[in-house]
Amino acid sequence: MGFFEFVFTVEFFFSIIRITAPIIFATLAAIICQKGGVSNIGLEGTMMMSALFGSLFAYYSGSWIVGVLVAIITGIIVSLGIAFFAFNLRTNIILAGTAVNMIGSGGTIFLVKVITGMTEGNQLTSTNGLISTRLQIPVINIPILKDIPLIGGVLSGHSLLTYLAFVLVFLTWALLYKTPIGLNIRSVGENPNAASSVGVSVIKIKYTVLIIGGILAGLGGAFMSMYYSMGWSQDMVAGRGFIALAATAMGGGEPLGGLLAALIFGFAQALSIKASAVGIDSNLVSPIPYLVTIIGLVVFAIVAREKAKKPHKVKESA
Amino acid sequence: MKKIMKLILALILSVSLVACGGGGSDEGGAGSSEGGEGAYNVAYLVNGNLGDKSFFDSAKAGLDQLEADGRINLKTIEMGGTDSDKPKWESILYEVSDSGEYDYIIVGTFQMPDFLKAAATDYPDQKYIIFDDNTYVGNNDNVLNLMYKQNELGYVLGVLAGGITTDTSVANINEDAVIGFVGGQDSPVINDFLIGYIEGALSVNPDIKIDTRYTNDFVDTAKSKEFALSMMNDKKADIIWGVAGNAGNGAAEAVLETNNAWFIGVDSDQEQTFIDELAAITLTSGLKNIGNSLIWVFDEIDAGNDDFWGTEIALGLAENGVGIVDDKNYDAVVPDSVKELVAEAIKAVQDGSVEVSTAFGPNKVDVAEIRDSVRP
Repeated sequence: MGFFEFVFTVEFFFSIIRITAPIIFATLAAIICQKGGVSNIGLEGTMMMSALFGSLFAYYSGSWIVGVLVAIITGIIVSLGIAFFAFNLRTNIILAGTAVNMIGSGGTIFLVKVITGMTEGNQLTSTNGLISTRLQIPVINIPILKDIPLIGGVLSGHSLLTYLAFVLVFLTWALLYKTPIGLNIRSVGENPNAASSVGVSVIKIKYTVLIIGGILAGLGGAFMSMYYSMGWSQDMVAGRGFIALAATAMGGGEPLGGLLAALIFGFAQALSIKASAVGIDSNLVSPIPYLVTIIGLVVFAIVAREKAKKPHKVKESA
Repeated sequence: MKKIMKLILALILSVSLVACGGGGSDEGGAGSSEGGEGAYNVAYLVNGNLGDKSFFDSAKAGLDQLEADGRINLKTIEMGGTDSDKPKWESILYEVSDSGEYDYIIVGTFQMPDFLKAAATDYPDQKYIIFDDNTYVGNNDNVLNLMYKQNELGYVLGVLAGGITTDTSVANINEDAVIGFVGGQDSPVINDFLIGYIEGALSVNPDIKIDTRYTNDFVDTAKSKEFALSMMNDKKADIIWGVAGNAGNGAAEAVLETNNAWFIGVDSDQEQTFIDELAAITLTSGLKNIGNSLIWVFDEIDAGNDDFWGTEIALGLAENGVGIVDDKNYDAVVPDSVKELVAEAIKAVQDGSVEVSTAFGPNKVDVAEIRDSVRP
């Protein structure tokens, strides 16, 4: 079996899409917040909270739809919390975001013990024991497409939320560039004083972008605990909320760029899993996605600098 | 804006009320019963609740047996496992130590050593036993640390996996002699499980390949799921042992998704802790038999061999300190020929004719080299 046949299998491309989806949710959340001039670094914690409540309510209600809705609502509530502390009480928003991340890690463990009364024994805390596949977000086999060889295997059979993630990239783009509210969001992000001088409520817009970010992060959390894994477990988001911040920077703060960056990250992680299969040391394999992120950021910075230089050159030669 | 503020404040209030209301899982002491004359008085402090189907229940079962045999008088105190219960742990430990009523006080898990160290220092005449922890071994002469030989556990599971992986008459098993291991970290403790697993598998099939992956954390279930999927898709592994805390469960989920392999659990009987669907694809679990180890301790005490205070004792197959789940799926799925192999392997380790290598201590072997030599 040759190298390419070994690496580039149908499962490989399928896993890229699966790995990318939760990062897309978080990246879109970060992008829309950034466009509105809000640095929301609390996405990791927001996703943890949503993952927990999504899976718990799926269990209590017996319905994954309720779980996803509760995950979204949780995302909104957590984001409102950040907004309230940052804009009404004038906390530094980076601190508010950091607090949410810490709550997402330690607070969720506390909550799951209080709510379910589970004891951990020697096991780490999780809701794995409550969730069956019936409570998971369903997988969709797309008719016709699924019968096409190779492409069908890669594109069909993903969860509802995976497809939604990719659709949301275009919806986010449309929201930002094709709607009046998108214009307001961008103007507040570019220059809040100017926006406010023409009667745009800056604080309302900032609340709005955080709420939209909360919805997106909520979906990301639901993806983690209700499709990717069966149930919530301690620290399960495992840095995806932070990767999204890097992907946002890499993608130039644009939805399509963010999608590309998330896909590059997904590719890198899928590749690192293949690399572990051929016996490369695990300590070298696990940083691959982060290495790719750094390289991506460097490339982006160089491209941006070249772009900035060009007009000057034209002037000089003229 | 005022309205929104009010709403949020109300929300925060109600959330905190709910949190307070839910936390009332107060556990009092469980009853003690009259034992035989001359029996030891033993207090078992559970830093959680019974019913965990894991360490706490295992310890309780062993102690119940000792009590039923009239060897101890047992007092079990469930101290609760939530964060709000934690402050109680130390005070209960002190109270029980201070009462002077107990010959032995038993605690367990990685959450207790700090409290125990303090209490053991303040009550030097009180004897304490702590299971599955060796943080402060040797620090106090009145504490016994019980540990468990994971390499011997790995050996038995390796024999099982190696014996079954080419037996296509078993459901979900393919003809390739490849088995998998998802570890949490490339660290001595995890590699101790692994080295036994490799040696056990090689002992029944010298040509077997073992696909080892490390998730590099114990929490990323999704990552360990991807690793397990890659093992099955790329390497045709059909037995996967997950030794990565919660992340290990991701491997079980991967097996459930593809349905062409078996998962092996660790530490507790995961067929009992998993939901039915995951339990159905779990072949067996490697166990630390806390209960048996406590019985062993009292056997030694009665035999006058209790010079182990202030040290760490690692219990293996010979002392019944480790073992595998041999009912449920194991009983139903594993062919008799393989069961025989497993029984022989256990016996061989018990009588010392097989010595399993270890990944730490003075006699440690080069796990990385062995791991690479059996890579598929």
